[in-house]
Amino acid sequence: MPPFELVTPATVDEAIASLRAIAGSGPAVIAGGTDLLLDIDDGRTAPGRVVSLRRLPWRTLDWTDGALTVGSTLPLRSLEDDPDLPRRLPGLWQSVHAVGSVALRHRATLGGNLGRAAPASDLIPMLLALDAEVDLVGPDGSRRLSVDAFIRSSRRTTLAPGELIRSVRVPESRPSAFLWQRVRPANDISQIAVAVAFSPTRPGWSIAVGGMPPRPVLLTDVARRLGHGRPSEELLRDACDRASREVGLASDQRASEEYRRRLVGTLLGRAVRAVVASGEVPS
Amino acid sequence: MNAAPRSDLAVKLAGAAVYGMDLDLPGMLWAALVPAPVAHGRIRSVDLAPARALPGVVAVGAEDLASLLPRGGGDPDRPIFPTGEVAYRNQPLAAVAAPSLREARRAAAAVRVDVEPLPALIDIETAFPDWPDAHAPPSPYVIAHVHARHGDVAAAFDTADRVVEETYRTASVHQVALEPHACVATVTGDRWYVQTCTQTPFGVREDVATLLGLPEESVVVEGTWVGGGFGGKGSSLLEPFALLLSRASRRPVRLASDYRQEFELGRTTLPAVIRLATAVKDSHIVGRRVRLLLDVGSSLPGRDFATGYSIGFLLGPYRTSTFEVEGYGIRTNKPPFGPHRAPFAPQCAFALESHLDEVGRTVGLDPDAFRAAHLWREGDTTALGQRVGPFGLATALEQARALARRWRAAAAPGHGVGIGLGFWSTSTGAGGEVRLVLTPTVLRIVQAEREIGSGSVLRGLAAVAERVFALPPDRVRVEYANTAEAPFDSGVFGSRTLGALGRAIVEAGEKMLGTLAERLGAPGPVRLVVEGDELVVLSGSIRRPVRDLLNSEERTPGLVATGRHYAKSNTIDEQRVVTGTFYPYTDFTGAAHVAEVSVDRETGAVRVERYAAFQDAGTVVDLPTARAQIEGGIAMGLGIALTEEAVWSDDGRFQNAHLLDYRIPTLGEVPPPEVTFVEGFPGAGPFGAKGLGEPPIIPVPATIAAAVRAASGAHVTDLPISAERVARALKLL
Repeated sequence: MPPFELVTPATVDEAIASLRAIAGSGPAVIAGGTDLLLDIDDGRTAPGRVVSLRRLPWRTLDWTDGALTVGSTLPLRSLEDDPDLPRRLPGLWQSVHAVGSVALRHRATLGGNLGRAAPASDLIPMLLALDAEVDLVGPDGSRRLSVDAFIRSSRRTTLAPGELIRSVRVPESRPSAFLWQRVRPANDISQIAVAVAFSPTRPGWSIAVGGMPPRPVLLTDVARRLGHGRPSEELLRDACDRASREVGLASDQRASEEYRRRLVGTLLGRAVRAVVASGEVPS
Repeated sequence: MNAAPRSDLAVKLAGAAVYGMDLDLPGMLWAALVPAPVAHGRIRSVDLAPARALPGVVAVGAEDLASLLPRGGGDPDRPIFPTGEVAYRNQPLAAVAAPSLREARRAAAAVRVDVEPLPALIDIETAFPDWPDAHAPPSPYVIAHVHARHGDVAAAFDTADRVVEETYRTASVHQVALEPHACVATVTGDRWYVQTCTQTPFGVREDVATLLGLPEESVVVEGTWVGGGFGGKGSSLLEPFALLLSRASRRPVRLASDYRQEFELGRTTLPAVIRLATAVKDSHIVGRRVRLLLDVGSSLPGRDFATGYSIGFLLGPYRTSTFEVEGYGIRTNKPPFGPHRAPFAPQCAFALESHLDEVGRTVGLDPDAFRAAHLWREGDTTALGQRVGPFGLATALEQARALARRWRAAAAPGHGVGIGLGFWSTSTGAGGEVRLVLTPTVLRIVQAEREIGSGSVLRGLAAVAERVFALPPDRVRVEYANTAEAPFDSGVFGSRTLGALGRAIVEAGEKMLGTLAERLGAPGPVRLVVEGDELVVLSGSIRRPVRDLLNSEERTPGLVATGRHYAKSNTIDEQRVVTGTFYPYTDFTGAAHVAEVSVDRETGAVRVERYAAFQDAGTVVDLPTARAQIEGGIAMGLGIALTEEAVWSDDGRFQNAHLLDYRIPTLGEVPPPEVTFVEGFPGAGPFGAKGLGEPPIIPVPATIAAAVRAASGAHVTDLPISAERVARALKLL
């Protein structure tokens, strides 16, 4: 691994300052490092400076004001182990549980997953379907934006120079489900991931699909067709067919485009049925 | 049966075992190889000057061999560095060493390589498109050809009730030992010394001597602890380069692969296409035609072996009197073909067993009963005319069928139960020797092999000696010595360690007990007992401590006895061979496996629910070690069956040279298997033992294929049996 300068600021201001000091020459931000270190090791990136967030007070988890707020450096395993999560946001628990292995989840973080913006992220589709928002802090103050607006494309976000992800806010309580298919169930990258959530307040469905570049996408039009409550089997079948036809997919060494289309339709149908089965979706 | 703990566990748990990767000598340089940038090309120049201009860098290329080696080089067919053409991507063109790994890598990158790209051949089917046709024009890429036949095959097919003909394709798989290849070479004077993690210290010695043109005695190979072999550490790979650099720099030189290089440079088993045809009359097989197109990469040595040895597994453990087999080894621009635990046998068993399943169904018979009816029994003759000795597969199959009936009766909807069979022949290699040394307090077994993780050396060999001498485990020590000091042995491969070295221990042990009886003046056999710290020799009422029976020269090291085991030569019926080299099998072992899987009928995803193995073992010498071999073989086999596949691009790149995308099973995909040993069909090993390293991996892909078919109807003819392939077979795509 090529050498780099590791900076571990103790305060948020210091962190922002240390990012700004060499802005432009590509300082990298590290939380768990489960993704960044692979890239450095393989030579895909060679940051001269790496800013660690480990001393910042962001390992937090908080259920208030009708939302779950997760600090950006909280290890995924701590989120997964939250006793309320499986009940209050079941889809989010399923997507966290799907990431890598237990050992990896002890290091990996929600903030890191968003910041790295991997096209095959298992977390981003679920955050999209749950209308999650990110709270950012930077040299010009704080701002909040939707995960959809935050993720730009493969490995690209709208994070400004010097800006950091402070926390992620997920509105509750939403019946939701997250399903995936992989070549190997454990410790692999999803060929397709489907996240579905039902919002009782709007009311309506959200669907997101991940597993293909450039980024996980919301299927807004397909979701709208499911209506405002439990869809009929016919409506659901039509939505699945439409999703499998319309979502932008391609072939790679993990799966063919054809197979991915098959998976989108199948997993979407199962995910919606799972959410309906929770009994929290009005007819 | 013993159940002593393995003596390596405490050392390994304490982190005290020094593996090849761990070696770090004072003054050591770190080395890197200069990889060929294309899969095939004409070498215009390899300019080492920019690397040599860097501080502390030593570089060696083809031009330096004359000054570095006493004879200027070794085998002209296997040059250390190519000078004409590049044969495969990442082929080493030169090697460099520097004070740190970073500097070595920088120096390797600085070497100016000019290679004119030539078209690369990657896909074997494009090299020989007409091959299943017996009248196809020969392909220039065929570098090995084997052909055998017996009986009137044409008549058998002409008069058959049914003929079933199918094509199977198998994938390239890698051994994935946890520890990549690693060595440190130290050349001083005419002593070429290398420490390396190897399955075959003497094999490396021979290989290095051949490649560098050195007398074997001047090469000394010191085995380190080995972090897994699985066939991938069976001959030299990095050692010649490290030795050359050490000679050039006069320093110890370390050369090790990182995991990407382990995939790219290591010896993978390459893809194959298998064509099988079976003629059936009155519910019996009356004729077989087998054709094999095997990718042997850029192999030169071993190409005939790969092709000629594999093909017997396509005839299988079945009575086959009328047949024709033909195999072609195709040279491609990939690294040399390498052995992977039971080289190519699991793939052959997958094709053959799946085919016989299909044949059984076609003629309306239960596939398991159909196979049982054709299975070898002791005294049968193999297709190539060998006599079958004690062989427990029919018994194993009977037990497997009984279990499968119970599992089928209880299977949930969407689940299916399948049986797969495989056979193996314990290899003896070129033989092996051990030296037993009896001291007043312990018995030492001195031999050449390092423990590679299976337990066959440290526990298996100890268990044999414990049984011969009736000694407790704490009085028997397995010790290792390098190739200058240890007696010769062929290596830890071919399921041979316990068989060959175990027999050598029995022979040495009997000699030693004879000597002790003589010295004791005992009328009958003697035995050893432990009294306090001392070992005491007993015969009836006569007893004396070992200490008193040693003469003055034996006070150190002790009473020495040597034993050796060389396999009896075994032959095939050469009348049946048309061309090429076929290999006789020496000691038949069989295994019958049962799997219950569930198949997702909408996605094709397969989950292994239950697994059981019935293993013909001759005599089990050490139960925990034997069980561990079966469990490990099944886990590895599930990888071949379901997820493992090296993906080669059209320009010869190993595209998934990473443990994320080259997917070995995790514990989550491997249900704890039920393991049953079938004893009573003795093999050639000590006490009638049979080798167990390779047999348990062989039936796994076949078993999974049968279970997937039973669960879903999907007849998948390509490995691995991915969800996508199942979905295609189910016509979901």
